[in-house]
Amino acid sequence: MPFAIRVTRALSRAAALAVALALAAPALAAELNAYSIWPENWARPMFEEFEKATGIKVNFVRFSSGEALARVIAEKNNPRVDVLFGGPVETFAAGMEQGIFEPYKPPVTPKLAERFRDPNGQWTAIADDPLVFMSNRKFLAEHKLAPPASWNDLLDPAYKNMLQMADARTSGTAVTRIFSILEVNGRDEDKAFAYMKKLRPNVQLYTKSGGGGTLPVGIGQAGAGIFFIVDALDTKAKGYDVAISFPKEGIGTSAEAIALIKGAKHPDEAKKLIDWATSAQMQGLFAKHKINFVPADPDVKIEASLAEVLKGAKIFPIDDKYAGPNRKRMVDRWVAEILNP
Amino acid sequence: MTAAARAAGGSRARADPALAFTVALLWIAIGLFVLYPIAMLLARVFVDHGHFTLGGVAALVTDRNQVAAFRNSLVLGALVGLAGTLAGFGFALAATRCRLAPWLVRAIDVAVLLPLVSPPFTTAIGYVFSFGPRGLITYDLLGIGNASVYGLTSTMTAEAITYFPIAYLTLRPMLAAIDSNIEGMARSLGASRLHVFRTVTLPLCTPGLANAFLLLFAASLADFATPLILAGNTFPVLPTQAYLQITGLFDLRGGAALSFALLVPALAVFLAQRFWVGRRAFVTITGKGAGQAPFDSFSPPARAVLCGACLALTLFVVYLYALLAYASLVTAFGANETLTLRHYRVVFSEGLRVLGDTLIIAAFATPLGGLYGVLVGYLVAKVRFRGRIAMEIASMINYALPGTIVGIAYLIAFNDPPIAITGTALIIVACYVFRYGATGIRTTVALLAQVDRSLEEASQGLGASDATTFRRITLPLVMPAFLAALGVMFIRSMTAISATIFVVSIGWTLVTVKILENMTELELGVAAAFSVVVVVLVFVGVFAIGRLLRLARAPGAPAVAGMLSA
Amino acid sequence: MSGSAKPQAIGVSVEGVTRRFAHAVKGDVFAARDVTLDVAPGEFLTLLGPSGCGKTTTLRMIAGFEAPDAGRIAFGGQDVTRLPANQRGIGFVFQNYALFPHLSVAGNVAYGLRVRRVAEGEIATAVRDVLALVGLAGYESQFPAQMSGGEQQRVALARAIVIRPRVLLFDEPLSNLDARLRVDMREEIRALQRRLAITAIYVTHDQEEAMAVSDRIAVMSGGTIVQTGSAEDLYHRPATPFVASFIGRANLVPATIVATAGDRVTVEALGRRFGIDAGTRAWRAGDSARLIVRPEAVTLARPGEPGALQGTVAARAFLGEKIDYAIDCAGVRLQAVRYNAGPGDLLAPGATVALTLADDALAIVADAGMGVSR
Repeated sequence: MPFAIRVTRALSRAAALAVALALAAPALAAELNAYSIWPENWARPMFEEFEKATGIKVNFVRFSSGEALARVIAEKNNPRVDVLFGGPVETFAAGMEQGIFEPYKPPVTPKLAERFRDPNGQWTAIADDPLVFMSNRKFLAEHKLAPPASWNDLLDPAYKNMLQMADARTSGTAVTRIFSILEVNGRDEDKAFAYMKKLRPNVQLYTKSGGGGTLPVGIGQAGAGIFFIVDALDTKAKGYDVAISFPKEGIGTSAEAIALIKGAKHPDEAKKLIDWATSAQMQGLFAKHKINFVPADPDVKIEASLAEVLKGAKIFPIDDKYAGPNRKRMVDRWVAEILNP
Repeated sequence: MTAAARAAGGSRARADPALAFTVALLWIAIGLFVLYPIAMLLARVFVDHGHFTLGGVAALVTDRNQVAAFRNSLVLGALVGLAGTLAGFGFALAATRCRLAPWLVRAIDVAVLLPLVSPPFTTAIGYVFSFGPRGLITYDLLGIGNASVYGLTSTMTAEAITYFPIAYLTLRPMLAAIDSNIEGMARSLGASRLHVFRTVTLPLCTPGLANAFLLLFAASLADFATPLILAGNTFPVLPTQAYLQITGLFDLRGGAALSFALLVPALAVFLAQRFWVGRRAFVTITGKGAGQAPFDSFSPPARAVLCGACLALTLFVVYLYALLAYASLVTAFGANETLTLRHYRVVFSEGLRVLGDTLIIAAFATPLGGLYGVLVGYLVAKVRFRGRIAMEIASMINYALPGTIVGIAYLIAFNDPPIAITGTALIIVACYVFRYGATGIRTTVALLAQVDRSLEEASQGLGASDATTFRRITLPLVMPAFLAALGVMFIRSMTAISATIFVVSIGWTLVTVKILENMTELELGVAAAFSVVVVVLVFVGVFAIGRLLRLARAPGAPAVAGMLSA
Repeated sequence: MSGSAKPQAIGVSVEGVTRRFAHAVKGDVFAARDVTLDVAPGEFLTLLGPSGCGKTTTLRMIAGFEAPDAGRIAFGGQDVTRLPANQRGIGFVFQNYALFPHLSVAGNVAYGLRVRRVAEGEIATAVRDVLALVGLAGYESQFPAQMSGGEQQRVALARAIVIRPRVLLFDEPLSNLDARLRVDMREEIRALQRRLAITAIYVTHDQEEAMAVSDRIAVMSGGTIVQTGSAEDLYHRPATPFVASFIGRANLVPATIVATAGDRVTVEALGRRFGIDAGTRAWRAGDSARLIVRPEAVTLARPGEPGALQGTVAARAFLGEKIDYAIDCAGVRLQAVRYNAGPGDLLAPGATVALTLADDALAIVADAGMGVSR
């Protein structure tokens, strides 16, 4: 048989198989599907613990907050997942505008601080995540600097072109940072933006994701940056020689949340996951798996080494009543005046 | 049969039911997987609550950032086209006109192929580590403490390094095919080497150079990973802007509009290639001239400069990949540089599923994409049927559009009935087949242009029907194009990212998405280990296809081996 | 060949076949215009003409590779005008051989038989026999790229004849071969065609090749057939100045018809009168015409020959066995050729010579320029 014919036949067989394979994809068991915004190395142990506790398997895939939300929005008419897991509250606020969540209030709700829950139950917090300054110790030593202890320390010319922090268009970290600056300037917008303008020459790169700058700071390509504490402590745990410090004027913190997707195909299992994740059941496991989030459930004790880091730090929550309505305006102003003036 | 069809050596679709069936089937496939998703996306851009709106595209002319992004994309594409073509041409000259030892040429071939067969970002990441403010080259080697690594220069250089192999692989067979007697003749007429190069070699290469430029321009236009890492904040380009618009501002309409702005230059490039360059190719692959000594185009000093420059660039490419290999073998690159196999253990334990998914998808996408490419290529090149040009253009749409937008279009179109296939492997396979199968179409068209029609007539004259002629003669003759298409499909299936990120799902995820994920998780070592494994797998696959190419006894096979990238 | 009885040869008739092309500059161009031909069963007919005369287009229409815009083609009385090439039972030999590069010699030759679903055993025998016939015994497993041009042409020939075609068609099959091989191959082709008794139509621009192989030659120019006849007919009785100068060399001497008598005419040229065969045309006294004088019909002698024309040697070219002379005579420059009888026999340029023209070797054509009578 000529080669060509053999190839053609083999190909048609392969095509038939492909179709069969595609149709056979979905499986059936006690399970639910989730998009995780938390990196896989934090999400996976949590979901494994959940399966151990409830017998429900969580199928998940990890996306950045923007990608995850873009997908949930695109899939609105025929949702592919039941739960959006992790990620800053800003992402969930944006999702609410698109009407993609199903309100659900887990049992823990009454116990939670106001900023850890949506009044209508569209989302509920699973952790708190303060911002920190993270700097490369070798860089500090070379420039004879102490770890920055004030927002104004970052204006030092030694940091020229050596800071990395997140881009406000894509990152909740950046939005939290901008509102932190507004808070420490008494919500005086002009004063806050004047500070950011002064900071601009020192910024090497505004990264797409909140943690994008941690590795450059870790390996010394950048000198310092402003990150969520989980990312900073993770960098340190990887072995990079970095210093974590807090500004004396104070710095903001942002909650991480979970939400039920409207039209979820496994609503019961999804609610079980939300109940579990918003309570001490999950948040008590952070320490065991070296996940450096601050628990949102007031009943869970902060792990000792994390508490040590946080000791003496002045951390304030971002007031959603102020941040919510002003968020878009601030981001637009940031793009216009700071990013590309 | 119409007179025109006969004159062109073409066949009639109407006369042959099998042919008519194939054409209909392909139209259905293209309609379903190219036109339908794009139409759905267009509807999102221009229809708001049932009303036509230009709101999505208005920002293209009013928003300063988006206008800048459009201009930047064109500038970047042009510069990458120029720099990459220059580098590729330099390598092609070194390989064909400098009488280098064959083993040296083979070594260059392998090194130059590296950027093509590796996942995106690898060049960009290596570049940051080398040229950043604390880069291995800028700081550790040159002592520059304040180097700026983000912006046009870096993006351009990294893209040129990533894509110049395309120029090399298209220009090298062309230079090799120029009868060296032509250059020898010019020399015998008293011209200096430089004069011969300027007046003979260069003009003969012009169509090839133009083609290489256009290929690189298009590649740069659609590239998403490199600017994502290297463009920084002052040099926005369209693909990343579109991505940010969608994933950062959740503005699907604006993002889609930005991508359609990209379609304009992308389509212009395609049309220029199809209707301008295509008519100006002086050099055809005849297989004659084998055994002739290649013309020695350069004086010894010029030759030394050229070969030196090529060697330097080759070493740089090798260095970037050595860096990657190194990062995969140390505990934490830049912090704890003790050697470890830990990252590979992760790849071959937790990573096995994602590698398996990727290979399964590649195993289906590769033959289907190859078949699709060759079929459409054959039909548009050889068969006169109504809507032939339309099919050729439609088949190029997914290829010309940036991957991000194709991914989003697929997500929108295939999430809801009637064709709800998001979450399956089918959507990824379809995305690859209809996006990267297009290279198979171009290769097949190019190859068929070189196959004399008398071969098919001879078969017909001997009593074979059109179907038999196709099966027994045409198909074996396009086998090199088919194998080249397989090669491209395989490379792309293993390394694509921009479209992929929107079509992967809980059930099926791919290794490139995993690499990106690992990078955001600071698992640089694991990301590097995955990249190394992908490079090795792709090399093995491409090598196997290369062997098959040599086995397929057909004219143009070696030339087509060169098209593997384009 | 599988050794059964020879097939009955069939005739080919081409009636009023026309083929137009759209040309970017010239508009509609006739590649073939009202071409009519009758090829007898078993005949070897050649279409001869310069490039662009329409001979290849005509052959390709006979093969079925192109369709005529008008006219009719019949094989043995059966109308094949609308029949696709693969159902006409032809054997076609291409100028570039068109061997399938991915198939071996045996694969190439067996191709047509496989298409016809001949049993493999028979195919093997047939391939062996036909390869022996064309002198390529034992070449079965070679590939075209490994063979010389002459060998490739033999494979192409074997591939065409092994299917026992009703008509064998050749499109300039020898033009890619060197001169010596060309002569050998054309003789082999002719011998093979006789032996197989297949009707053959052959296209070439080489008049010597045409004369060597053909039973009859059809001379084409500008898309039409100018004259059909045996080589001798065309040479001795050309119908137009074009045929006269395309077949062999000819002096076209301005002449006037003085008188006609039956099939003889008296013409005046070079200041003399010649009585010659009138040919196919009806002449009237006073018609202007061209007298065809073949170079070898000019006999040169030392001056003083009684009744001879006077001329002067203008130039000569020494070709060894013969010498080409250019002679100025009565205001006309004539080409003449003379066999070399020895060094003493050469005529020097400037010498005066006596010329005689053999009446029997002269022909007369209308003075219609070099083009084609329309």
